[in-house]
Amino acid sequence: MNPFLPRVFRSRVVQALAFGALGLSAAYVLAQGKPPTEKEVEARKAMGGYVPERMKNPYLTGNPPKLTVTPLEEIPLKDIKVPPGFQVEIWAHGMPGNRMMARGDKGTVFAGTRAIGRVYAIMDKGGQRTHKIIAEKLNQPNGVLFHNGSLYIAAIHRVFRYDNIEAALAKDEVPTPVDMTDAFKLPTEVHHNWKFLALGPDKKIYFQVGSPCNVCEINKEVHGQIRRYNLDGSGMEIVARGVRNSVGFDFHPKTGELWFTDNGRDWAGEDGPEEELNRLPANKIGANFGFPYCHANGIPDPDFKIPNPCANVELPVITLGAHAAALGMRFYTGKMFPAEYSEAVLIARHGSWNKTERNGYDVVMVKATPDGKNAKMTPFMTGFMDPAKNTFWGRPTDVMLMPDGSLLVSDEQMGAIYRVSYKR
Amino acid sequence: MQAIRRAVVSGAALLFIAGAAYPQSRGDPARGAGKAPACDACHGTAERPPLPGMPTLAGQQAEFLVLQMILLREGLRDVPQMAGLLKSWSDPDLQDVAAHYSARQPLRGEGKADSRLSERGAGLAKSMGCNSCHGGDFRGQQHVPRIAGQREDYLAASLTAYRDGKRTGIDTSMNAAMYGVTDADIRALAHYLAHQ
Repeated sequence: MNPFLPRVFRSRVVQALAFGALGLSAAYVLAQGKPPTEKEVEARKAMGGYVPERMKNPYLTGNPPKLTVTPLEEIPLKDIKVPPGFQVEIWAHGMPGNRMMARGDKGTVFAGTRAIGRVYAIMDKGGQRTHKIIAEKLNQPNGVLFHNGSLYIAAIHRVFRYDNIEAALAKDEVPTPVDMTDAFKLPTEVHHNWKFLALGPDKKIYFQVGSPCNVCEINKEVHGQIRRYNLDGSGMEIVARGVRNSVGFDFHPKTGELWFTDNGRDWAGEDGPEEELNRLPANKIGANFGFPYCHANGIPDPDFKIPNPCANVELPVITLGAHAAALGMRFYTGKMFPAEYSEAVLIARHGSWNKTERNGYDVVMVKATPDGKNAKMTPFMTGFMDPAKNTFWGRPTDVMLMPDGSLLVSDEQMGAIYRVSYKR
Repeated sequence: MQAIRRAVVSGAALLFIAGAAYPQSRGDPARGAGKAPACDACHGTAERPPLPGMPTLAGQQAEFLVLQMILLREGLRDVPQMAGLLKSWSDPDLQDVAAHYSARQPLRGEGKADSRLSERGAGLAKSMGCNSCHGGDFRGQQHVPRIAGQREDYLAASLTAYRDGKRTGIDTSMNAAMYGVTDADIRALAHYLAHQ
């Protein structure tokens, strides 16, 4: 009998199946047959950081995904607010669960998903968008990247490359992918390992290997990282460590430095630790960003304690709100938006679950100098949430620039992509 | 997985009539009833219990049913018979069927409960915090299923599959919840919940 063990691990954030990484003491697993002492219960809670007593509402649970097609007229477009001069339209819809986006040379937009296991290709034909499911039955194929005619898809530890995909799509075909899984040799833990892919200015492929828990001791050589690889999967290099779970990054248009979002831990309180926007200085490849000991702008973890937890930790450019789930981000490098948007970071905040009063559910703009100083965050695209009723209808998940300078925003909840444009 | 399933013109899938301001389609139980006989054959009715190993769907949470049917249809939850049946069902079909079953009266427990086993199951359910998601009376909520009165053999098989990593839901939370639970405890939990 172990009537107490799952008590801790029931956390809906999922402590992952990767118990090795939790540093779980064998004594706890094997102490079956007698009820736990108070001390054991407390120790167990601390191991996964699951401490509901710290929250106003201890029964907070994840928001369910919506995996059905949302008809066009059920998307409350009119509720979306943008600054004066901007317009929003529904650019494409009918793609349940669409998340991270990549754009092909010929204009195809590829969108990954999580729970529904698909990747969509969205084609623009004479002002009307059609879409095709180009991959399915994958385990959380969140990561998509287009380079040199090829689409890369990452689904947890599996990596696929679809060569000449746009030429094939023009003939209504999908090429058989090259399975690159063996070349990348990624860890198979699922939790916090739905990938975000980006191509660096160094023409290397960047993605994260997240921490397979809410908060836990991690194997620093495996988890809690952002890595880069040559396009063939060789030459792996860890560029950032102590990263809990980043699902968005981009490279500064002037410096080429990596900037990335990172999600703060749960069950430590309603108001934090907040999500982060981080910058990896070019001369600090491999720098430590603090997880699991130091969060946000220098907050020591309440459960995982070491002396001087924030010493030598790269602190964020700015914090992005408590539990707001800051995900996809891009620097604005287009010409369409007003000058103040030049080199600003646009960030999709997917929205909270581990917080009684909802937070996020919007796109924000962060202005900062190239060295990450003087950062300021302002709302850009809002209206997906009703604070008075504490409800939401949409979840901005990724942002992507179009060649004309307009911005695409994916909404996982509505299975839609919006286009934000500006007219002088 | 590389098969092209379908190409859909965005804008062509406008099957719903716009009603009040931005309604979210909930499914039509009456339309769902038309498809129900295909489900009832195995999942049972008020008069005829489900076949061995099959869950009852009566009174189940609609949102849970829709999500599970999508996972089954997409082959992400691997039950070949269900994938075959659902292959031709559209999203509105799934929503209709889910609305139909969620409106049905839930079944009550099968036979008389073994009081010792039930007592043990009750203690386990409490210590494992099952009701923090499944609700105080285990009727579920949104994407979390009703487990009160579910078939005992199905509950035991599902809990075992979650423990052993053979099944995942829309996320891995049940796998985490069942980590390390013994066969004997699963039997007790299933017995207790089936008789709620």
